[in-house]
Amino acid sequence: MVVEGLLYTKSHEWVRVEADIATIGVTDYAQQMLGEIVFVELPAIGKEFAQQDELAIVESTKAASDVYSPVAGKVIEVNSELESKPDLINQDCYNAGWICRLKITDTNSVENLMDSRQYQEYVGGL
Amino acid sequence: MLQDNADQSHRHEAESISRQTVLYDRHIALTDKSHIVSFAGYLLPLWYSSIAAEHTAVREAAGIFDCTHMGVLEISGAGAAHFIDQLTTNSITSLKVNHAQYSFILDTSGGVLDDVIVYRKSLDEFIAVVNAANNDKIKNWINALLNNEVSLDPEHNARKVRGRPKVRDLRLADCKDDCRVDIALQGPKSLQVLLALVKDKEAQSQIAQLRSFQFMETDIEGTKCLVSRTGYTGAKIGFELFVHPEKASQLWEAILQAGKPLGLLPCGLGSRDSLRIEAGLPLYGHELAGKFNISPFEAGYGWAVKLEKQFFIGKAAMERISTEYNMEVARIELPGTKGIRPARQNDAVLDEHGWSIGWVLSCAVISERQIALVYVDRDRLGQSDAVGLYYLARSHSQIQQGRKDGVEKMELLEPDLTGKVLSRFAKF
Repeated sequence: MVVEGLLYTKSHEWVRVEADIATIGVTDYAQQMLGEIVFVELPAIGKEFAQQDELAIVESTKAASDVYSPVAGKVIEVNSELESKPDLINQDCYNAGWICRLKITDTNSVENLMDSRQYQEYVGGL
Repeated sequence: MLQDNADQSHRHEAESISRQTVLYDRHIALTDKSHIVSFAGYLLPLWYSSIAAEHTAVREAAGIFDCTHMGVLEISGAGAAHFIDQLTTNSITSLKVNHAQYSFILDTSGGVLDDVIVYRKSLDEFIAVVNAANNDKIKNWINALLNNEVSLDPEHNARKVRGRPKVRDLRLADCKDDCRVDIALQGPKSLQVLLALVKDKEAQSQIAQLRSFQFMETDIEGTKCLVSRTGYTGAKIGFELFVHPEKASQLWEAILQAGKPLGLLPCGLGSRDSLRIEAGLPLYGHELAGKFNISPFEAGYGWAVKLEKQFFIGKAAMERISTEYNMEVARIELPGTKGIRPARQNDAVLDEHGWSIGWVLSCAVISERQIALVYVDRDRLGQSDAVGLYYLARSHSQIQQGRKDGVEKMELLEPDLTGKVLSRFAKF
């Protein structure tokens, strides 16, 4: 499932951009591939990330996967509910399963993301 | 996301070179294509419903597994028994007809080439079931031995292969009607499911009387089938069914239909791994051989290496290792509720004081706890002893924060998790 209005990366993160704030999570395709998610390592609030930096780690019963920052920005909020309920990502990856919010520091970094239609096509070809 | 993923990193390149099993169409009908991964050169589902549900089904009801990727080699004809007695570590003379045994194939220096199950169909007719990943290696090894291309015993070059048996790969089409592939049916309700597919009362009673590591040939769903009380899940009741590849889909469907009302689920690679880890069973490359070159003695299977035999390939090395080995495989339990980072291969195992004594080989999350098979100093841990676990760094940022990305023995570390030692094996 792909949600309209969000932006996407080839490494299966989604971003909701509202003004200069980016809310970030992983896509339905990603959570399906990972299976039962049992642990999420969240970034520290205040930390700055360049685009494609390792932002968080999501671990399922089968594998550990890095979440790469889709944009350049500074962490202003994390979804600490994931610490005790990491499977929120399995249940509702685009809403309750969000990972963190960044204040975008380089708006150019938003330019090279895919829209929902492009991402849908990309996933269809995998 | 997903770029750094050990299980799936090879997925896309592998899809073009990996083979479909004869049950591939069944898998596609039962699960999303995204759950199918390459394993030992074959495309198999990681799971159909979920790893946890499939694990529970096998413990409480039953599960079926596509094991048609497993190698099925027939060794038969004059001298077959003599040859297999040289080839494998366990005792062929004590293996009765219609019985199977767990055994090892070693190279001349004692390295484990594979762990196998040897089935004796008649005095000089055997089937060896080998790991998919080792199938070609074992075939080549056997042929090289039979053609006298390699020495059986570098210390006694005069030692020759006894017997000239014929070797056939029963998964290849040229075996025609004799072709066989493996489907596993495991769990407490597996007998009930199987009996529902057998018409003949006499055959039903014989199947019900099979004991562990016994087998028989019978008709199931109108097709000839070797029914064996063996498996890789630790289930007290479980079968492997060897059928003609053209009949595999029909048998698979019949088992699904008969088992559905009893709670049977099709099971993928994920639960296959969590079940065997929970039972303490080794996986070649992890708890046997692999980077630590783990021997049968270290793995807890010294009983399958019969040093009293006059000869088997690798015996001299086994005699030495049997007295000298100083590491062993142990089974431990760690907390595993949601939100706890899972232990992974190579994470460090600590004693109760925090000293590193070994490493994780395999680990699975099973209903709110983790069961790990670990490689630790021999006789260092007793059952119920406390153990610690130290996570290796999973990312560059963790290394920057001071987490180690590799641990040697005898380092003093703060445990991230604490757990306890379990018995080496468990039956369910």
